[in-house]
Amino acid sequence: MIPPGYRQTKLSDPFEISLGPIYEAGERPNRAFALLIDERHVNRRKVMHGGMMMTYADATLGALAADLSQDVVSVTLNMQSQFLAPAPLGKLIEVMPELTRRTRSMLFIRGDFTVEGEIVMTASSVWKVLGQN
Amino acid sequence: MTAIALPEGAEEIPFVGYNQYIGPLYHLPEQEGFQRFCFRALDRHMNSVGAVHGGMLMSLADIAMSRAARAGTDAQNSSTVSLSCDFVSPGKLGEVVEARVRVTRRARTTVFLSADIVSDGRVLLVASGIWKIA
Repeated sequence: MIPPGYRQTKLSDPFEISLGPIYEAGERPNRAFALLIDERHVNRRKVMHGGMMMTYADATLGALAADLSQDVVSVTLNMQSQFLAPAPLGKLIEVMPELTRRTRSMLFIRGDFTVEGEIVMTASSVWKVLGQN
Repeated sequence: MTAIALPEGAEEIPFVGYNQYIGPLYHLPEQEGFQRFCFRALDRHMNSVGAVHGGMLMSLADIAMSRAARAGTDAQNSSTVSLSCDFVSPGKLGEVVEARVRVTRRARTTVFLSADIVSDGRVLLVASGIWKIA
């Protein structure tokens, strides 16, 4: 079931495809993303696994990196994640990635990940746009 | 392609949920003070440019550091508080990717850890993080 207001995001990485679908709303480069937390994403406490949260962060912050670099490949140099609250099975986890700063070859992108309006994780990341010195 | 052998003493970790879905993951014997875990990079772990997906490397770091935070204690649960990951070089299909974890400091309920994720002599990712155990 697609969450109201969202459509399915086109994914190309096999790892993301295996864990998706991810949903999106809005137009590039102002897309918001959502993931419905299911049994594949949780730990034995039935909350979203930290590894899955970081995978989701890499996918969604990376989607903004791709939007901003006209789909020239960018690679993650660093990602810092802080885990503020559990994200329970069955809930929707949403994010609107934000550009903090852009240089010719680097993108600084962050996001607050929310469940029912409460921040459960913040992530900030640095991306290298390949082919740009 | 002949599969690269898993390191000696590899034992599959029984898992549920996400850990099981992305697995199999293996525990390796401790070596030189490092707690060690690994997986073999399969097609489903990759990104579209032929490298192991960053999310999979961060997941290995999270799982390995989380287990190392609890090791040798009575704690039943460990929760990641923060984790920083530097992506040093890409992981390759078919290789065995190993996490080598060290506890920097263990306080009563807070554990500081660092980890290198390596493959075939290359460092793929360097991580440091804080866990809460209970």
